[in-house]
Amino acid sequence: MITVEQPVTPASRRGLFAGRRGRRIREALQAYLFLLPGTLLLLVFNLLPVGYAFYISMHKWRIQRGDFIGLENYLKALGEPMDVVWVVGGLGLLAGAWAVWHSIKPETSGKGFLLHAAVALMLIIGGLALVLGFPDMLANGDEDLFKSLLITLYYSIGTVPLQIILSFLLANILFQDIRGKTAWRIMYFLPYVTVTVASAAVWTSIFEPRRGLINLALAMLGVTEENLPQWLFEATGIGTLIGQWLGFEMPSWAAGPSLALVAVIIYNIWVFVGYNTIIYLAGLGNVPRELYEAARIDGASRWELLRHVTIPLVSPTTYFLLMMGVLGTFRAFNHIYVMTKVGRTLGFPQGTTMTSSILIFKHFWERNRFGYASALAFILTGVMLSLSWIQSRIAEGRVFYG
Amino acid sequence: MASTMVAAKRESREYRVRSGIVQGFLYLVLTLGAVVAIFPFAWMLLTASKTYGEHSQKIFWPAGLTARPYTDLSPAQEIMVDMHPTDVWHGSIASFSPLVEGVVPVNEVSRLVAENLEKKGIAIPFNVLILALDTTDDGIRNYDRFVLTVDSRLAEQFTTRIKLGQWGGPDYEGAARGRWGPHFNVVDASPDQLVVKQGWNVWHMFFGNYITAWREANFALYTRNSAIITLLTIAGVVVTGILASYAFARMEFPGKNLLFTAYLATYMIPWTVVMIPDYLIIVALEDFFKQTFGMENAWYNNWTALTIPFMVNAFTVFLLRQFFAQIPNELFDAALIDGCGHLRFLTRIVLPISKAPLMTVIILNGIWAWNSLQWPLIITTTSDWRPITVGLSGFITEASAETQLIMAGSVITTIPILVLYFFTQKQFTEGIATTGLKG
Repeated sequence: MITVEQPVTPASRRGLFAGRRGRRIREALQAYLFLLPGTLLLLVFNLLPVGYAFYISMHKWRIQRGDFIGLENYLKALGEPMDVVWVVGGLGLLAGAWAVWHSIKPETSGKGFLLHAAVALMLIIGGLALVLGFPDMLANGDEDLFKSLLITLYYSIGTVPLQIILSFLLANILFQDIRGKTAWRIMYFLPYVTVTVASAAVWTSIFEPRRGLINLALAMLGVTEENLPQWLFEATGIGTLIGQWLGFEMPSWAAGPSLALVAVIIYNIWVFVGYNTIIYLAGLGNVPRELYEAARIDGASRWELLRHVTIPLVSPTTYFLLMMGVLGTFRAFNHIYVMTKVGRTLGFPQGTTMTSSILIFKHFWERNRFGYASALAFILTGVMLSLSWIQSRIAEGRVFYG
Repeated sequence: MASTMVAAKRESREYRVRSGIVQGFLYLVLTLGAVVAIFPFAWMLLTASKTYGEHSQKIFWPAGLTARPYTDLSPAQEIMVDMHPTDVWHGSIASFSPLVEGVVPVNEVSRLVAENLEKKGIAIPFNVLILALDTTDDGIRNYDRFVLTVDSRLAEQFTTRIKLGQWGGPDYEGAARGRWGPHFNVVDASPDQLVVKQGWNVWHMFFGNYITAWREANFALYTRNSAIITLLTIAGVVVTGILASYAFARMEFPGKNLLFTAYLATYMIPWTVVMIPDYLIIVALEDFFKQTFGMENAWYNNWTALTIPFMVNAFTVFLLRQFFAQIPNELFDAALIDGCGHLRFLTRIVLPISKAPLMTVIILNGIWAWNSLQWPLIITTTSDWRPITVGLSGFITEASAETQLIMAGSVITTIPILVLYFFTQKQFTEGIATTGLKG
């Protein structure tokens, strides 16, 4: 047993700073000093602004502060108060039903019936509330907001799953006995490293309808000039376009994202596949080799190894990438801003690339509606938080943390 | 016995063939992926070497990447040009002194220019007209700008403007901005007689678009701004990050959990919420500094607003804290016996062994700072402190049809980061990987 000698307290340190208690106080003071610069900046530019943003959102605020209008900005975005109550209440009930459903344990069979009944009731009421409230909300709220949320949803669904699948594939291949691993890694990672504005500019020129690389290639494959896709200039939905191509009328609800948004999606996938691959490689490196050995001795095939060892063991990475990917699409700004510059208006063409973050920027910067933009930012945050919550609930029990 | 051996042999051969096919397939997928990852860079470099005409005529391989423009070039020669007063050219720049013009005979052009002039119906030899302008309003005639045209007084066609001492030439083909020469450089601009050096500037011929983009979009200033902004941000993040994470990892004080939760919370707050109040805070600070210290643009349009709000970030604190917490306690106890305080322990022992995580922090924050667009877009209305991303984004609008210049600008913008990446790619990828390992 080694006893640590107390340092000799200098004679000058007496009173409050003397002895063991004095050392603790001194350490605390020093710690606060260490934390001062970072915390001060954090307070001024990150934490207090949240409260300030809420204050702004309660006002009519166009560059200068105007009248206090309470929650009017939120209602302008979401519709009548009752609609909001219906929808939020309905969603709450559905979430509650989910929570009760999961709290039912086999042992509590006595109360089981009651609980099941409660779940059913909550589902029915919640569902009804949504059915009643949601169309009204759509009708009375800000159409642009709901459109932008739908566009952001398309954007998420278009990018995240494909990104994850492709990078999982590449990472698994790179994890094999492959020559020149570093070289492959450098190449795949290049898109992520490149300055976003620059690479978005390059892709804008690649998608250029008359002289861009993609349409040059399509023309070489024999597509006639009038049939060449207009990419970033095309506001028609991809579903409608496919319908036209196959020669039938697509119903309007199946129109899907505009071709311009598809171009942005392609760019996004290009940027993030390499990044996801690197993270998957790190995740694969953490899987214990013995598990593979053991499974192989038990006669598992390549496919079974993948299905029952690799996929469950890298599920934390998958979950992380899913989360970051979805939140990333909600935050995306730089590349959408640059790629839609071809039209000189935000959300070009016809607002079909107006994701939520671009919509907020438009209200803030182009229309100088600070109050309304802040309210939209909070609504978007609410959507992001609930999406994260849903994702974490889905992941629960499916993600295996070793 | 023999038959089983034969079977085993056959099987192993079969196995080798099969694993060969699998291997081949894997390499095929990897190559395909690499091609997709790389081709935009190839397109960027290729387009950045093209002329406007080549890009719009969909010519795949630019003449600038062949030998044609660069062979058989005669040495430069100095020519005296008699200048005489002229009436105003159509569309020329406003000038304070009377305009003077002169003629330089051109007898020899490169093969590429000869082909292009032939298409335009201009025979060799031809004359290059020089229009000298005085753009300074000081009452003295000192010519500093020149408009060069081929056999034409129409300023819109075949025109390039150059400054005193700068290489350039008239446009021999559309909007190539005098790239393929012969080039002219006004060595001495006395009012009556110019001394013009006529020759070939191979540098200009090869990097023509880069030079034009660099000049037109003021990339020199933007690069400087971005470099300063990035370095300052990194310095701030590293200092605040090291101090805060050390306090969280190795010191005891009341309210530690609360403060740490506050740091965690900022990680969750989306930027869109904070952006508007931050803008108003900057405006308020600007007003305050103006009224108290009489300072104009202390925050707005200045490096302060571009760097100070980003001089702390929660991610850096988490990353470093995790590393600092792993340092064995015995090390600190030993240092304590030697009479070390926390600050000495931090600078003498902790930092030297934390080179790897610090490198990660520096690289990641460097990229983020260099990449930022939205905030500088809001906070800079003049070019004084505009970073390169905003510069390029504005240049995209300005040069809209001239894709080759936009591509050259993109190369200029991205090269510093790519150089950094190639030199530090190992730490780089490892750093990125650790960001995803929190599980």
